[in-house]
Amino acid sequence: MCNDSNNELRNERRMFLTVTSCALFAVGGAGWITPYIRSWNPSVRAKAAGAPITIDLASIPEGALLVEEWRGRPIYIVKRTKEMIASTLDLNNELLNPDSEDDQQPEYARNNHRSIKPEILVIEGVCTHLGCTPKFRNKKNTNGFTGFFCPCHGSKFDFSGRVYKGVPAPTNLKVPPHYFADANTLVVGIDEERQA
Amino acid sequence: MKLLYLTITLTLLSTALLAAESPVELLSANTDIQDKASLRRGAYLFINQCTSCHSAKYMRYARLARDLEISEEEVVDNMLRFGATKISDTISSAMTPDAGEKAYGIAPPDLTLEAKYRGVDWVYSYLMGFYKDEKTTFGYNNRVMNNVAMPWILASSQESMSEEEFSRDMRDLTNFMDYMAEPIKPWRQNFGKYVIIFLLVLLIPVWLLKREYWRDIHGLRSPTSV
Amino acid sequence: MSLLTRKSTDLLHWIDYRLPIIQAFKTHMSEYYAPKNLNFWYFFGVLAMLAFANQLLSGIWLTMFYTPTIESAFASIEYIMRDVESGWIIRYMHEVGASFFFIAVYLHIYRGFLYGSYKKPRELVWLIGMFIYLLMMAEGFFGYVLPFGNMSFWGAKVIMNIIGVIPVIGEDLQIWVQGDFFISGATLSRFFAFHVALVPIILIAGIYLHVIALHQVGSNNPEGIDIKAHKDENGIPLDGIPFHPYYTVHDLIPVVLFILAFFVTIFYFPDGGGFFIEPPNYIPANNLSTPDHITPVWYFTPFYAMLRAVTITFLGMDAKFWGLIVITGAILVLFFLPWLDRSPVKSLRYKGRVSKAFLMIWTFCFIGLGVLGIKPADWAPEWVSPTFTIIYFAYFLLMPFYTRWETCKTVPERITANGQRSR
Repeated sequence: MCNDSNNELRNERRMFLTVTSCALFAVGGAGWITPYIRSWNPSVRAKAAGAPITIDLASIPEGALLVEEWRGRPIYIVKRTKEMIASTLDLNNELLNPDSEDDQQPEYARNNHRSIKPEILVIEGVCTHLGCTPKFRNKKNTNGFTGFFCPCHGSKFDFSGRVYKGVPAPTNLKVPPHYFADANTLVVGIDEERQA
Repeated sequence: MKLLYLTITLTLLSTALLAAESPVELLSANTDIQDKASLRRGAYLFINQCTSCHSAKYMRYARLARDLEISEEEVVDNMLRFGATKISDTISSAMTPDAGEKAYGIAPPDLTLEAKYRGVDWVYSYLMGFYKDEKTTFGYNNRVMNNVAMPWILASSQESMSEEEFSRDMRDLTNFMDYMAEPIKPWRQNFGKYVIIFLLVLLIPVWLLKREYWRDIHGLRSPTSV
Repeated sequence: MSLLTRKSTDLLHWIDYRLPIIQAFKTHMSEYYAPKNLNFWYFFGVLAMLAFANQLLSGIWLTMFYTPTIESAFASIEYIMRDVESGWIIRYMHEVGASFFFIAVYLHIYRGFLYGSYKKPRELVWLIGMFIYLLMMAEGFFGYVLPFGNMSFWGAKVIMNIIGVIPVIGEDLQIWVQGDFFISGATLSRFFAFHVALVPIILIAGIYLHVIALHQVGSNNPEGIDIKAHKDENGIPLDGIPFHPYYTVHDLIPVVLFILAFFVTIFYFPDGGGFFIEPPNYIPANNLSTPDHITPVWYFTPFYAMLRAVTITFLGMDAKFWGLIVITGAILVLFFLPWLDRSPVKSLRYKGRVSKAFLMIWTFCFIGLGVLGIKPADWAPEWVSPTFTIIYFAYFLLMPFYTRWETCKTVPERITANGQRSR
C-alpha cells in the first residue's frame, strides 16, 4: 500500500503536528499555572499592613530607644545624644566595616553616622547573624560596652548599628528606607524619591 | 437514538424558556461596566449619597482609585470618609449597624455585594422605584420593595433634576455597584477573549493531529504530498 | 543528540527495572486496546478526570487563603476574590470546575445507560463508579457549605434535618454530626476537613480503582460488541486499536473544547446564571432568615424534587421519613443496575422498543425533576413530581421484566470496516 517515501512524509507530518500541539499546550500550561504562582505574592491586605509607617519624633526623649513595627520587623529609632554620636567616631579600628561599604543601607545613609540626620538613627532591629533582636545598651555596664548587643550569640554593634570585629554577625544592621516628611515626622518604609 | 437526543434537547430548551420569571417587572439597567467615566460618576454618588448609612466593607479605596483611574490624592482628599484614614482602607459608613437598627428598624446592609445578591436590574429599579404614597407612615414607597425601610434620600435631587439626568445618575450608581460587587469583572471580560482565541488556535493542530493519526484506522491512504 | 537519547533511554530502563513504568504505560496506554468505534459519549470519562485534577489543584490553593470559621469564612472568600493576587480566577476555576465535573460525570454515567456499560463483565467498574458519584455528592455538599453564605447555611440546615428524620437515633445523630445544636463553627470545621482531606483521598483511590478495573476487562463500545472474542495470532483484538496514540490524540479535541467552554464560563458567566453560585450566597449566613427560594445547587435538584414530592404518611411514619427513603432508594437503585438489566444485549442500539421508549421517558422525567427542584414548590401541578418520581423508579424496578421479554436485534460479531455501525 504505502511505499517508503510516503511513510517518511507521513512521519514528518505527524512529528510536526505533535511538536506544534505540544508547544501550544506548553504555552497554555504556562498561562494556566500563572495565577497559581502569582497568588503567592503578598496580598493587598499584606501590602496594606506592610505600608510605610509614620512616626512623630517630637515625643521621643533624647537618648532613648523607640521600637516600631514595619513589615513584621522591629524598627529601632534612637534620638542620639552628642555623647552617643561621639562614641561612634573613634571606633574605626574595632569595627568590621566602619565605612558601610556594603548594601546594608540606602545611599543617603552611607555616611559616618549611617543616617539622614546625624542625631536620628533608624535601623532594623534584626541581628545580621541569625535574626534575633539586639538589646539597646545605653549605660555602660558589663565590659564597659554601649551600643546594641545581641543576646543570642553575643554580636555587638555601635550606636550607628555597625558591627564589631570578632563577633558572629557578618555585617552592619540594616537601615530601612526612610525620609523626613517634615522636621518632626519620620516615614519608614519608603524613600523620599519613591514618593510621588 | 435520534429521538432520544431530540427529547433531551426539547426538555432543556423548554426549561430555558421557562427560566425567566420575577414577581415585579424590573427596569433594564442597561449599564456598561467598561465605561470608566460612568463608573467614576457612580463612585462619587455612592460615596456621597450612600455611605452615610451603608458601608462597603470589602471595597478598598486604593482598588477603586487604580481601577477607575482616579488619582490617589483625589481619593484621599475627597473620598475618604467616616473613619477611613488610609487609601488602603475599605469604604466604611457613618452609621453603626445598631444605630441603623434603632433609626430604621433594620440595620442598613453592607452594599459591597448587593448588585450580585439582587441583580443589576433590581438595584436600578429599586433606585428608580421610589414614589409618593400617602398610605404609608413616611409618605413614600418603593415599587420593587413594598414598605421600604430606607428613607427616600434622593427625593430632593429627584425633584430638582430632569427625569433623564436622574436616571443617568442612577444608572451610573448601579454600574458602580456592579463593579464594586466584583472589581475584576471589567478586566476579566476584556481578557477572556484572548484566552478563547488561544484555545481556538490550539484546536487547529490538535484537530489535524487526530485526523492524521486516524487515517490508519479508517484505512484511508495518506495523501502523497502535504 | 543521539547521546542524550541513549542516556535518557538508559535512565528509563534503570527506573523500569525498579518501578514498572514502561510496563504500566504499555498496559494502560500503548497496548491497551480500545474498540475502534468509540463515539463522543466516550469523551466524558477523560473530561471528568481532567475536571477532577482541576478541582484538586485549585482546591489545594484555596485552602491556603480560606478561613474555616463562621466569623471569617465569608470574608475570606472576598479576600480571595479581591486581595489575593489572581485569587479570583483560582476561586472561579474551583467553583465553575465543580459544576463542570458534575456535567462530565452525569454524561459519563448516562453513556453507561445507553450502551449497557455496567453489564457483565463491567459490574465492578460500575459499582466503583457509583461509589465515586456518591462521594462526589458528599464532596459537593461540603464544599457548598464552606463559603458560608446564606444559601450555604440553609442548604446545610436542610440536609442536616434530613439526617434528623432517621427514626430513633436521628436527632442525636444530627447533633453529633453538627457538633452543636445548629450549624455552627464546629460543623464548618469538620465539613472543611472532610471536603479538603478525607473525601478527596477516597475519591483519588476510587478513581484509580475505577480505571484499573476498566482496563482489566476492557472498554465497552456503542455496539456492545465484545472485541475480545476475535483476536489475531498475537492475541490483539481485531477490532481494537491502541489507546495511545489513537485515543490520546482523539481525546485532545474534546479536552480543548471542554477547556474552552470552561474558560468561557469563567470569564463571562462565572455565576453560571445563578446556578453555580446562587444569589443568596452573596450575603453572609443568617440563621434567622431563610432565602426566599431555597434550592440546592443544580446537581442535587432531581433528588431534592423527589424529597419534596413525598407528602404522604404511611405505616405510621411521616412524609419526611418516606422522603428520605425515596432519595436514598433513588441513589441506591443505581448500584443494582447491572443485575436489573436482564437483556441479552448491551447496547440500546440492539435492545427492543420498550427499553428505548422507557429510557426516553425516564430521561425526560429525570431532567424534569431537576427543573422542578430548582423551581418553587408550587410551580407545577401537584401530581407532576410524584409521577416523575414513580417513573424514575419504575424504569429500574420493571427492568428485569421488560429487558427479558422484549425482542432484541442480533448483535453483529464484528465492528465493521470504518468503525461505523453495521446496517
